[in-house]
Amino acid sequence: MDLNPMHQFEVYKIGPEINLNGINISFTNASLFMTISSILILALLFLGTKKKLLIPSKAQLITEMTYTFVAKMINDTAGSSAKDFFPFIFTLFMFVLFCNMVGMIPYSFTVTSHIIVTFVLASIVFIGVTIIGFVKHGIKYLELFVPKGVPFVLLPLIIIIEVISYLSRPVSLSVRLFANMMAGHTMMKVFGGFVISLGLLGGWLPLGFSVALTGLEILVAFLQAYVFAILTCIYLNDALNLHH
Amino acid sequence: MKDFKEITTRLKIAKKNIKKIEDKDEGSNAASLGKALKISTELVASVVVGSIIGFLLDNWFGTKPLLIISFFFMGVAAGILNVFRSAKRMN
Repeated sequence: MDLNPMHQFEVYKIGPEINLNGINISFTNASLFMTISSILILALLFLGTKKKLLIPSKAQLITEMTYTFVAKMINDTAGSSAKDFFPFIFTLFMFVLFCNMVGMIPYSFTVTSHIIVTFVLASIVFIGVTIIGFVKHGIKYLELFVPKGVPFVLLPLIIIIEVISYLSRPVSLSVRLFANMMAGHTMMKVFGGFVISLGLLGGWLPLGFSVALTGLEILVAFLQAYVFAILTCIYLNDALNLHH
Repeated sequence: MKDFKEITTRLKIAKKNIKKIEDKDEGSNAASLGKALKISTELVASVVVGSIIGFLLDNWFGTKPLLIISFFFMGVAAGILNVFRSAKRMN
């Protein structure tokens, strides 16, 4: 029995090692669970939109609910001008949500508990939003770093602070998701280990905690996907409408 | 035809019930918890990013301890600014 709580985060190869110009792109368990999540999303959306009934089936209901949920979120936080970016934000939300939820199944692997995965997702958002801002506003996008009504003397300091705060966006976006997922899963494994080491006599208390933590983790899994998507909307709003 | 009528009345009742629930809790609990979780990392991230920028610039210009210290404090300022902004956005 492996009681090491960090063992669940180990990445290992499945199948042969593939090298492309010296870069190792072998198929790992992380890639496997990303593929599983993507297939599940596609299956749900395919089932949900196959038969368009007046009284929806369960799959159709879930699909329609996720659609309205994301559409409402974009409309509330980024305005109607962000409607064009619905496909991207919907994909991002569903991918993070399904990766988190698939990770909740015992013996599975949580892709989002690795900072490289979340950092790449956050970088895509960050670079994309910056490009959108410059395309939409040109050089005027730099006004984002110059708040109105600041005395001229303080301007250099304020600009540096604003630039740091802008650059910290991908870091906070990725670290939040990664830290929440990793901490939660480690905690669950630690409590699971307590159950075994305390045995029949004292193991019931950590077992109860484990059950409660599982519920909490499912909430966190949903919440972090939601936060990830809503922050993307907020950053998009900054880029499209150019104010804080 | 009878089916259709039945569905319409049932829809009406369901819509009424949904409206009742929506009136009850303004702003769901999950959304506010998400906002609370968001703030904590925002402060830390800015400090880390500020310090890294300071460290890199120090190595570049060869002014070893000066820039990392000043950029650390600017990172703290940026973090507080970020927290302040997201708190303001909640209202």
